[in-house]
Amino acid sequence: MTDLLGVPPALLFGQLLVGLINGSFYAMMSLGVAIIFGMLRIGNFVHGAQYMLGAFGAWYLLRLPELLPGLGLPSLGYWWAFFIVPVVVGMIGALMERLFIRRVYDLEHAYGLLLTVGLAMVIEGLFNVAYGAAGQTYGVPDALKGGINLGFMFLPIYRAWVIGAALVICFGAWFVIERTKLGSYLRAATENPDLVRAFGINVPRMLMLTYAFGVGLAGLAGVMAAPIYQVSPQMGQSIIVTIFAVVVIGGMGSIFGAIVSGLMLGLIEGLTKVFYPEASTTVIFIIMTIVLVFRPAGLFGRETSSHTVADLSSGRVGSILENSRLWLLILAVIGAALPFVVYPIFGMKILCLALFACAYNLIFGYVGLLAFGHAAFYGSAAYVTAHAATAWGLPPEISIFLGICVSTMIGALFGWLAIRRQGLYFAMITLALAQIVYFYAVQSGWTHGEDGIQSVPRGRLFGFIDLNNSLNMYYVTLAVFLAGFAFVNRIVRSPFGRTLKSIRENEPRAISLGYHADRFKLIAFILSAMLSGVAGSMKAIIFQLASLADVFFMTSADVLLMTLIGGVGTMLGPVVGATIVAVLQREFASFGAWVVAMQGAIFVLCVLFLRKGVIGTLEEFLSNREERRHSALDEIKPMDRSPLSQTAEADAGGVR
Amino acid sequence: MHKNALQDDYIIEAEGLTKTFSGFSAVRNVNLKVRRHSIHALIGPNGAGKTTTFNLITKFLSPTAGCIRFNGEDITALRPADVALKGIIRSFQISAVFPRMTVGENVEIALQRPLGCSYHFWQSERSLGNLTERVDQLLDAVGLLGYRNRPAAGLSYGRKRALEIATTLALDPEMMLLDEPMSGLGHEDVERISELIRKVAAQRTILMVEHNLSVVAALSDNITVLAAGQVLSEGPYSVVSQDPRVVEAYIGSVDE
Repeated sequence: MTDLLGVPPALLFGQLLVGLINGSFYAMMSLGVAIIFGMLRIGNFVHGAQYMLGAFGAWYLLRLPELLPGLGLPSLGYWWAFFIVPVVVGMIGALMERLFIRRVYDLEHAYGLLLTVGLAMVIEGLFNVAYGAAGQTYGVPDALKGGINLGFMFLPIYRAWVIGAALVICFGAWFVIERTKLGSYLRAATENPDLVRAFGINVPRMLMLTYAFGVGLAGLAGVMAAPIYQVSPQMGQSIIVTIFAVVVIGGMGSIFGAIVSGLMLGLIEGLTKVFYPEASTTVIFIIMTIVLVFRPAGLFGRETSSHTVADLSSGRVGSILENSRLWLLILAVIGAALPFVVYPIFGMKILCLALFACAYNLIFGYVGLLAFGHAAFYGSAAYVTAHAATAWGLPPEISIFLGICVSTMIGALFGWLAIRRQGLYFAMITLALAQIVYFYAVQSGWTHGEDGIQSVPRGRLFGFIDLNNSLNMYYVTLAVFLAGFAFVNRIVRSPFGRTLKSIRENEPRAISLGYHADRFKLIAFILSAMLSGVAGSMKAIIFQLASLADVFFMTSADVLLMTLIGGVGTMLGPVVGATIVAVLQREFASFGAWVVAMQGAIFVLCVLFLRKGVIGTLEEFLSNREERRHSALDEIKPMDRSPLSQTAEADAGGVR
Repeated sequence: MHKNALQDDYIIEAEGLTKTFSGFSAVRNVNLKVRRHSIHALIGPNGAGKTTTFNLITKFLSPTAGCIRFNGEDITALRPADVALKGIIRSFQISAVFPRMTVGENVEIALQRPLGCSYHFWQSERSLGNLTERVDQLLDAVGLLGYRNRPAAGLSYGRKRALEIATTLALDPEMMLLDEPMSGLGHEDVERISELIRKVAAQRTILMVEHNLSVVAALSDNITVLAAGQVLSEGPYSVVSQDPRVVEAYIGSVDE
């Protein structure tokens, strides 16, 4: 047989089929994510875990007699699972909505994303404890066994069924939402809940059912995937980031876009496997990047011109907790004494994480952009520094400098691509971009894949400070941390920082005064990437290791968690948060596989109960106390008469 | 020097301004000329396209067609911040203050911009030098001196308007665009703000959107009436108010 485009047709069609299968799953999953985002404004990061639940559900049903012996239950096969599991997973979704997700509807998008990240960690963590990383197999149902010879290729019937079923389900869902009365109620409920409520429609229940429907779709995808892929706790984690990228490409909120892009990108991925296999894991993210440059709203999305950033900061000017000189001194003293209390290596870990969190706080707290890909800066700097020190034998200061240069450049590129977007969209884009760096590190030779770059020599700093001495290393790290901490505070309190603050408070007004808001945000983003690079480079030298964990998205989630626990937009929050997380990680280490689930639980608890973080809560307490004292004073003073009448003292826009 | 002295007389010239939102034209073929050192009002019933026109001139929206010239220079392709740098500063319908900054800091943000150090992330705030005197002057001019250290969020609606004007004046703009400066204000405040606008208009050009027709009558030198996205009538109040088309367009929608 002749080759097509230089490849054997069997290979080409085989990969096209694989691509179409993957595309079917992408379409079903992104459809659910798009519905949930469109209707509920929640970036459902737990979607991957819910898909995994679906696959495990099918597997459980098959093994009912073994799982629950003595009840005499029959083993329920594929077709039972096909109808039962989506409903059950949907019900689990409804329960999750009721217990957790409902509580964050009125909050910033950031919290919804964090909450679902936490839930995903809990679910996947628990399954990991129970089943480990190994996958379970699930057989193809008898009715769909075998295949058809199409002449140019062999088509397994089950795969044909998956593609057909997925298409019917996707376009059915699209039809319901866009073309029926129920769908129009749904869309109306998200546009104006109060009005729809006035029509006598139970809006909370409607939102719950919408969420359950989206989750049920993920469950169904899971059932359909069980006979094709291995049923494993990780199966959802690897797909969710891709799904987010698909939704961004399709256009946020566009259901049709999600379906079409899902199928199309699956096919493109399949073709890439044929023609340029090295890029097959990253091709979707690269396409996303290109789409963002030319069509920022996605292929099918509508351009929105919202100028809102999340003002989550809980710092207060003039508070004792924001006195940078005082705290720089206190931190220096504590830092100097630390290696005599804990192991220097643990102290260095805290300092590294604290610097990383300070850098992250710059963009999340002080600009108000939910970045979710800082692992790319931290990790790339770590890799470059490790490589420069190990393979090129460069001294530590040069290696660190190179690492910082690379993270700064990547930051400039990512920032340029993402900065025009806000909220959840910004988070998804930075996450997907960071994933390119991750897959690059997985595949590249010089990063040594799973092993990472090990035994990085610490060397002599400036030729005379021997960093192999752990106290030397510690005090150098402390100096770098203090410098970074001071630098962040200088940025925040500079003319630039003031302008950033005005942009965060009222972006259109800042623009109307002549400030190019996007430029300010971009510079802040680059500075944040650069400082993350400092932390990453130091980490590579301290731990003498750069590994995939450094560029993995969990690192991005960790730094977010630290900032959140400590207090977003506060000066000390990141430091306190990093310390807490480092201590918890050390304590949890003995629990082995439970760590991820526990960390997820902390995420969830933080979002639900400690949104202002430790420092933010303390700040609130202090400012309340001060306010009480002030109001006591005000009662003594006579009220001043002013030229303008007090028409609406408690008007909108005022703070409570 | 421009060749055409007559053209020089106009600070803003918009020609054929059109904005279409997915099939619906909010503004259609609007021609608008604003005479230098005048107060020009843009009025019209709700949905006439006044705010859209405003957003088009300040580039917060991009026109579907048409061009805008400022001092004879084409500014159609500029970004909103660049328009501001040219000397056109706008206000917003909902009060545009920085709520969690103090009244003084609100003004300082504007004063800081011409200093050219706003990108200096490595410098301390002290590098801005002493802006206090200018801040006090500006706040005094709008009667807010006593509120210098209060957070802007706690001000009454009228005072927020005054602060907005002080912030705008800090940039000494050649042209001010005020979007419904009187909306939400009580009677006493309306008089104060009117007085303020008249005062600041001495050396500037003002284009405003306003619903309060008595304010428009008292303040403006020239009026453009918009209806359904098109210019209905133009001229001083005495002329426009006698125009039967204007009267017709306003029947049932004048709330004064």
